[in-house]
Parts: sequence; structure tokens; C-alpha cells
Amino acid sequence: MRITDTVRRSGRSLRNAKLRTILTSLAIAVGGFTLTTTLAAGNGIRAYTDRLVASNFDPAELIVGRDKEIANNGAPSTEPKEYDESVSSLTVGGDGSSLQIKQVTTEDIQELEKLPYIEQVRANYILNARYVTRDGQKRFTLSATAYNPAQKPEVEAGKLPTEGDIAAGQATLPDGYIKALGFKSANDALGKTIKIDVQKPFVDSTGEEVIQAIREGRDLKTLQPASEQRSFKIVAVTKKAATSINFGTLPVLVSTADAKNIYDYTTEGTSNYGKYSYVFVRVKDGKDAAKITTAQNDLKSKDYFTQSSKDIQQSITQIVNILQALVGVFGLITLIASIFGIVNTQYISVLERIREIGLMKALGMRKRDLRRLFMLEAGWIGFLGGLIGSVASLLVGIPLNPWVTKKLDLGAGNSLLIFRPAQIIALIAVLILVAMVAGYLPARKAAKLDPIEALRTE
Amino acid sequence: MIEVVNVTKTYGKKDSAFTALNDVSLNIKEGATVAIIGKSGSGKSTLMHIMSGLDTPSDGHISVSGTVLSQMKAKQMDAFRAESMSFIFQAFFVEGNQTCYQNVMLPLEIAEVRGRDRKQRVLEALEAVDLAEKVNSKARNLSGGQKQRLAIARAIVNKPKLIFADEPTGNLDSATGDKIIDLLFNINKSIGSTLVIVTHDNDLAARCQMQVRLKDGRIESITGSAVKAKSAKTKVAKKGKK
Repeated sequence: MRITDTVRRSGRSLRNAKLRTILTSLAIAVGGFTLTTTLAAGNGIRAYTDRLVASNFDPAELIVGRDKEIANNGAPSTEPKEYDESVSSLTVGGDGSSLQIKQVTTEDIQELEKLPYIEQVRANYILNARYVTRDGQKRFTLSATAYNPAQKPEVEAGKLPTEGDIAAGQATLPDGYIKALGFKSANDALGKTIKIDVQKPFVDSTGEEVIQAIREGRDLKTLQPASEQRSFKIVAVTKKAATSINFGTLPVLVSTADAKNIYDYTTEGTSNYGKYSYVFVRVKDGKDAAKITTAQNDLKSKDYFTQSSKDIQQSITQIVNILQALVGVFGLITLIASIFGIVNTQYISVLERIREIGLMKALGMRKRDLRRLFMLEAGWIGFLGGLIGSVASLLVGIPLNPWVTKKLDLGAGNSLLIFRPAQIIALIAVLILVAMVAGYLPARKAAKLDPIEALRTE
Repeated sequence: MIEVVNVTKTYGKKDSAFTALNDVSLNIKEGATVAIIGKSGSGKSTLMHIMSGLDTPSDGHISVSGTVLSQMKAKQMDAFRAESMSFIFQAFFVEGNQTCYQNVMLPLEIAEVRGRDRKQRVLEALEAVDLAEKVNSKARNLSGGQKQRLAIARAIVNKPKLIFADEPTGNLDSATGDKIIDLLFNINKSIGSTLVIVTHDNDLAARCQMQVRLKDGRIESITGSAVKAKSAKTKVAKKGKK
């Protein structure tokens, strides 16, 4: 029997048992639905993380540190580390645990700057500012860091320079502070001055100083470290971008020079002075991935730990892949369950049609063709199941997509579910194949049937 | 055309062995109409199965048009059956869910007949059994007689050399049965197929050119085998086949 005739005939016998066919294919459809949705979600999340990384990390830049935690993808190691002058503690856990980081020193930065393939080294200034305020307004806490030209924040009002750093004495203000600091609007804030209070580090007073203070009848509070207010002109008002990685409040951004100044002021006399948990290193011609890799290898030989935007992307993608695989396994389990459904249905179909099979064999139908006829029938069930499942996934996914995107705050232009036609077609093809394999045993039974037995009238 | 030489068929082994056919030999000429007659259990169905290659003899051999069936490979046997044989059964075995057209198309699909004249051949076969207006009716909506006519259309669509009919009138009332028999004989004349009818109906058997009577697996008698007047008919049949 020719393949076209076989396909037609198998499709026809399924139409003659519509209810059974649909019920069996619905089982496959559940698996198809899960897998289509999982694939689409994987696409969506991967596209989102790609954008996330692209808009937060400069591909030409490397994060360079002295501690292996830098390359650990945020999973702190539990092993104790050897003490070194440059180790500093960061409080991390609610249980009081802390992470000891071997820091990058000023000498390290100087060494890095001399390397021929390095264009620029930017320290990671985590600024300990006490509060931000403005004349006649209350004081508010803040986070502050240096402005990174390669990673422009989303701007609500004002303008950032197209290239290079913002000028010293300028700052950006997150939109959340507009009302708090008594501005009428974002535009109103532009050009106005804010004051950021910074404090010298706490250094234990000597006993002598305490005695001296008591003698002079001074309040002991005066022994607190000095603090001063720095004035900044607002150059732009920033807002949270859909793709920004930011767990706290948006930072106030100041020029690198101001950042260094504040950092030094707030750390002078402490072990953190002139040391940074990591620095940003811009590689010459770093758009070229090969240059980045060479730089990483060379830095590794100099006992630095590095992380490129690609590494970060990979570590995020890995998490996504694991999640996707987990959900995918559920889809596969449903699929395996539906295989038994197909085997069962096809066995019943063979038993019901013993006469027809006998007749076909008597008329000279080859075993191979009969087997193919029944396997194709199973294949049709797989096709139908795949079609129902993926169409259902599309029907549910497409209208729900904008809502999910909004709920998850993914930002405009991002979708959680991205359906790729080629993927869906491939999935349906796989389901057809799986169904045909499931249909093999019943098909073999049909092919082996003895026509004389099958055609006995009694 | 068909030579049955010393065919014996035994079922089971040793002690429980049952001999369905015992040393049966006969010779059927091309284009002949043959009745195989006997009571149930006489071995007539077994003989038909062996002649059509559905079953193999325990001893002896069958040759059809000079080819020994038992020497054929399964693939050749299937091809041979698809091209040269067809069957009509007591219980019709038409597919109720399929249309008349689809039922009749089946042998052509199995024989891998290609080309556009497939449809034409199906329509001609339905025409020949007077079912032309039922082309697109589902077979389950037909009466018993119509179903058997449909089965005949299916049997002749491939213009086979050999048609086996197993009790073709067994499920029909006598008036309808007579019409079916007339139709079978007409087809035998018009396309020149050899017609082998298995029956226990003596009246039907009497209309055939040759009667093979079986009893307990042995041939009781063969009558009317040498009919000289048939040679002219055979020539016509040969022409018609080309």
C-alpha cells in the first residue's frame, strides 16, 4: 500500500472512532500543553535575562576581584579563608554570618592599570552616606554610588552626557525622592541642590580624650566622628528600568571623582581605606569576546578572579535551564502516561477490526503495510494531541501574556511566554514519533494476525 | 490453471492430529466455474484456503498458472494475491463505516495501483454490480444483497484471474441469492475470471461447470471437469484481460 493511501486510510479509521480518538489524544495534549508552555516560558525568561544582563553589564567590562567569591556566582563558600590584611567582613545572613572578602587594594588597581590590554579600571564605590536632604526638608536615607557611563539609568527628566562621566558636583536623583524632598515635579528638581551628609568612620576614642572631655564638661556626644554635608546639583531624575537588577532603592549617582572623595572620607583610618571588594575593568576592544577571554585568562594567572557579562548571563541561564528541565519532566511524565493510553486504544482498535485486518491480509496486504497502517493511526493521535496541546497553550498564553508581564513587573516589551513556531512544529513531530513508537506493539499484533482465524464466520 | 497435487492438511500433532484434507488432487482450467461441495467439516474451506495460499498444505503442493505457491516468499505471495486473487465471503466483510467507493478502492490500494484510472475502475466495478448511485453511501446503510454486490464489486475491481467465493449466498434469502449467483456467472463470462465457489447448495453447484465433492477430507467425486464447449469462452476471456 502506498504511503499516501496508508495515511488517508489511517486517518479515516480514526474519524470513525471520533470520541475514542479525541479522548486518547487529549492525554497527549496535556503533555503537549505543558511542554509547549514550558518551552515558551524558557524562551521568554532567557530573552528577558539576556536583556537584563545586556542593560546592566557592559560586555566590554570585567568584574575583577581578589577573592574567589567573585567568580562563585553569588554562592558563598563555607570554607575558612586564610587571613590577609586586605580581608574585610560583609554582614550577610540573618543568623549573623558574614562573608569575608579579600579586597582589591590601591596597589592592585595600579598594577591593573599598567596592563596593556586594560583600558580603564573603575573601583566599585559603595558609599556610606548618612542621609540626603535639602534646605527646609526632612532627612532621608539613601544608597549612593558612582555613575557608570556604560550603564546609563533610565531618565525621567534631565539629560545625561552622551559620553563620559557627569561633572563633579552633579548628581542624579531617583524619582522616589521628588515628593519627599519637596519638589513639585521631576523637572522642578533639575538644577536644584541637594545635600548629602557623610561621616568620618568611628574610631575608638582614647581614654585620654574621654577624660579630657569630662574635665571640660563637654557632652560625650562631641566625641562622635566628624561629619559634613556635600552639595550636589541635580542633573537628572532617574527611574527604575524594567530590566535593572536592583534589590534596594535606586542609588543617587555622583561622578567618579566625587565618589572617590566620599569613599576616602568615610573610610579613612579603617581597614577598608583604599580597598574595594571588586573593581570594574574595561578591556581594550572588549566588544570582541576573544579579547575578553584572553584578558580573563591572563588575570587568572595573576591571581585575580574575574567575571564577564557572559559568565553572569550563563549563571542566570543555568538556573533558568534547571527550572525549565524540572517543569519539562512533569510534561514528560504526562507523556509517558499517555503512551499507555495509546497502546490501550490501539489494541482495542486492532481487536475491533480483526475482520478488516483479515480481509486486507487475504487481499494481499503486506505485513509491513499493515504495521504501518496502525502505527500511522497512532501517529495521527499524536499529531492531534500535539495540535490540541499547543493550540491550547497558545490560546491561554497569548491573551494572558500581557497580564503576566504586568504582574511580574517585567516591563514593556518583555513577555514571559515567547512561542516559536519552529519549536512547536518540532514538538508536534516528536509527539507523532512517540505515539508511533507506542503504537508499534498493537500494530505488530495486527500484522501477525492469522487471516484464516480472523475471517472465520462462526 | 490451478493444479492441486496430492494435498494433505493435518492439524495438531501426533495423537491429537486431525486430517482436514487427505491426498486431494484436482485440476481447474482457466476461466472455469467450480463448485466445491460438502458438508461442514468436510474440508472444503480448508481446500479453499490452501488453494488461495492463505494456508499451507502439510503435504503435496498447489500450483497456480505454473507457479508453486509454497515456493513463493511471503512478499511474492502477497503481491500475487493482491494482483491475481480476490474473495467473496458469506458475511460480506464490507466496512460499514466506509463508503462504497472506499470499500471498492481497497484492493487497488493494496495492489499499489497508480494513476488516475483508479477512480474510473472503482466506478466501473460499482456500475457492474448496479451500485453506481450508491458510490458515496456508507456501506452500513446497504441491504444484505447490496452488501454482497458491493463485495463482488470489490472482488472484481482488480480484474483478478481467480475469484474465491465462500458460501456467497449463505446470508441471503433465496431470491436475492439467485441474483447474486447470476451476477457472479455474468462476471465470470465478461472478465473471464476463474470462479471457485465453496457451497453446500446443490442447486448452485449444478450451475457450475465442475463440481468437486468432498467428504471427510477426501474427494468423493469430480464431475463435469472436461467441458469442451468452454475453449471458445477461454479465448474471449484472455482477450478481455488485456
